[in-house]
Amino acid sequence: MNNRSLFIVKIVAFTLMLVAIVWAGIEFYNHRNFTETVVLGDGVSTVKKLSDYYPGLKDSVNDCNIYIFEGKEPGGTLMVIGGSHPEEPAANLTAELLVETAEVEVGRLIVAIRANRSASTVTRPGDAYPLYYTIPTPWGEKQYRMGDRWTNPLDAWPDPEVYVHYPSKQMLAYMDIRNFNRTWPGYANGTLTERTNFAFMELVRAENVDVFIDLHEAELEYPVISTIVAHQKGTNVAAMTSMMLNATEFKIGMEYSPKSLHGLSHREVGDHSQAVSYLLETPEPLLDRVRGITDEHLLLTGKDPFVQKAGEYGLLYEKIDDDGWPIDVRVGRHASTVLELAQSWSDLNPDRSIRVSNVPRYAEVIENGIGFYFANPANVPSQRLAYE
Amino acid sequence: MFVHAGLVLLIMVIAFVVAKWAKVTTELSMAIAALAGALYHTKGIPVRHLVEGSFNYFDVCLIFITATFFMNILKESGAVTFMVRSIVSRFFKHRYLCLLLLTIVMLVPGAITGSGAATVFTVGTLVGTVLTCMGISPNRTAAIIFLCAAMSAAAPPINLWAMMAAAGSNMPYVGFTKPLLVLSVVGKLGAAFILGARGKQVDLESALAELPESPVGMNWLKVGLPFIVLFALVVAGRIWPFSMPIVGLPMMFVLASIAAILVSPHKLRIVEIASTTIHSLIPLVGIMVVVGMLIQIMALSGARGLISLGVVTLPLYVLFFALWFILPVSEGLLQYAVAPLLGVPLILLFNMRGMEPVIALSAMATMWPLGDCLPPTAVVGRATVMELKFKGSYTKDFLKTCLVPIALILLMCTLFIVFSNELAFLVG
Repeated sequence: MNNRSLFIVKIVAFTLMLVAIVWAGIEFYNHRNFTETVVLGDGVSTVKKLSDYYPGLKDSVNDCNIYIFEGKEPGGTLMVIGGSHPEEPAANLTAELLVETAEVEVGRLIVAIRANRSASTVTRPGDAYPLYYTIPTPWGEKQYRMGDRWTNPLDAWPDPEVYVHYPSKQMLAYMDIRNFNRTWPGYANGTLTERTNFAFMELVRAENVDVFIDLHEAELEYPVISTIVAHQKGTNVAAMTSMMLNATEFKIGMEYSPKSLHGLSHREVGDHSQAVSYLLETPEPLLDRVRGITDEHLLLTGKDPFVQKAGEYGLLYEKIDDDGWPIDVRVGRHASTVLELAQSWSDLNPDRSIRVSNVPRYAEVIENGIGFYFANPANVPSQRLAYE
Repeated sequence: MFVHAGLVLLIMVIAFVVAKWAKVTTELSMAIAALAGALYHTKGIPVRHLVEGSFNYFDVCLIFITATFFMNILKESGAVTFMVRSIVSRFFKHRYLCLLLLTIVMLVPGAITGSGAATVFTVGTLVGTVLTCMGISPNRTAAIIFLCAAMSAAAPPINLWAMMAAAGSNMPYVGFTKPLLVLSVVGKLGAAFILGARGKQVDLESALAELPESPVGMNWLKVGLPFIVLFALVVAGRIWPFSMPIVGLPMMFVLASIAAILVSPHKLRIVEIASTTIHSLIPLVGIMVVVGMLIQIMALSGARGLISLGVVTLPLYVLFFALWFILPVSEGLLQYAVAPLLGVPLILLFNMRGMEPVIALSAMATMWPLGDCLPPTAVVGRATVMELKFKGSYTKDFLKTCLVPIALILLMCTLFIVFSNELAFLVG
């Protein structure tokens, strides 16, 4: 190839690359700046910001909304967070379900829908996640950002050579310094993720939270699945919840939070505050490595013949059949488990009782679909809307 | 879905083979394969997926580039020549000790950059000259240089195969230091002493005459200082993790490079060295960028799942008997791309079967670089014969001489995989 031809090839290649970068850049920009509209249910008393508890987060991407429900009678305080890992959509959808439907009779409820908002503004290179997913509702489709497990590198980069957890000094994988569920209890002078955890801990202490629940989803190849992971302070409540749900609604296990594994909410929130901490896991086939086509359909239906085949070979820790694991089933499991934990807590701690009503349980969510419970923002006064 | 994913895979393979047949480079052939698979699966061009996938190994690329820049600065400052001349001058009477120290010198560039080619280009010619002066035949000299380069690429801290496979498996690149060190050092010393045991004492006069002069003013302090800076930055991050700012490995290599520039006894042409570094790395960085795109399209279309499913449902004994052959051959075909393509499902399988994944991946990541002497790519093998101005036949002389040590290293790695649980103590 002569110099002139080579020059032309280089110009064409450069132009194509530039077009691809601009094209994709616009998509990334739109995804990062996409806002989800949340309709405040009648039970929501106040919407605060996370920075109200730690000003160091003010105006940052992780200064998320904190929805507070004041009960009609005094009692204990329940806190539920979704969006720790935004690639696990049943978590933020369940949190939103609470915000739109819950009413508190006794005690208080505090909800965060997008606990690590930054991680919801990026998807994982190499995994081909869809950028968005839509939930059908009676009034149309409601769109959401799909996210990643880790904080967006645009907000926290570079990673250290090795991540040393604060304050335990336990060494963890370098990228887990951006993993919101490896950086509890947080660090005021740390990275964005560590500061976000710190802000949540300040909130837990300031609001005197009794029960803290972190919602998650897991791949079927992962042993910690369909379970409640409980801090040792709350094993009796978790055991009772598991027993009740197994008897009445669905199978769910209960596991002890390992004392030597640091950075996880079920360990550190319980260790560093008065709250009893729990982490809930429900199955999400989209996260499995052996999955087939990666798209919104798999994300929402949880149906995948490849994962099913792996199950036939006994390679999974949870069953999967032709029905898959639809989003309604996953949200329904979380909703019932949260309600049952609150109930069991109240039974064992009557002086710090928490009674939440109007939230649909497992069977109702499956029957109606999660979108049934989301009101049309167009029909709601602007002061009853919030944005994530 | 099985048929669809299978067709996507078939289209990608055909596109790759046709492109290679048309003499297109490996990295561009992979890009064409990714594009062909994407076109079939999406009936269009999924631009976002292609761009997002290309960032899959962004951090690894940065480490690779800055580490190679660091090694090139050391080479141009004369530090490498000084090390080799000093070892020969001091230990020429002790043949085995000399061989041992030269083997260690050959460990450093590959261990730091993750590239066997970096070892060949920075110290290959110098060490090759000394080996010849030790009475080692040209065939054996070339084989030693290649095998030491391959094992240096496998050595910690930077093993690109392990890093890429670990990243693809959501597995932290933690705990690999000891197993990789044991495998690479044993493999390297074994190869050097099997091939270089017989010979004569170093002919000091001719060795020093043939080696380039080291620059006036170079000394061990100036050689060691850049490594001390690098080591200090790594250690400081671990000792004072909550007060030390996060620097990141790429910046650590840049700071160590600055230290090397400052203590260099002569002025270095930094822009030229940086330019040469980038130019020499274009094929390898290109492969990593394109492999990211390929993996993303395979994940999107289900092809990745099909390969994963195929691998995880294989009986283990089949793999034990086949990996020693499959891994080097696939490396010769696809280079670093094999790590995420084959490594990730294999790790998944080992995990599911209750084996120690870090040991198993370390063993695989030591087997892969051995394939860098195999056609069609043979990147490190070709670099070796080119740098040493090897006059024999590539296959009949060079490759044949490499065979016995390669077979022994592959056997050792296979045993590491089979007994991964028993060797779990190495993970620490």
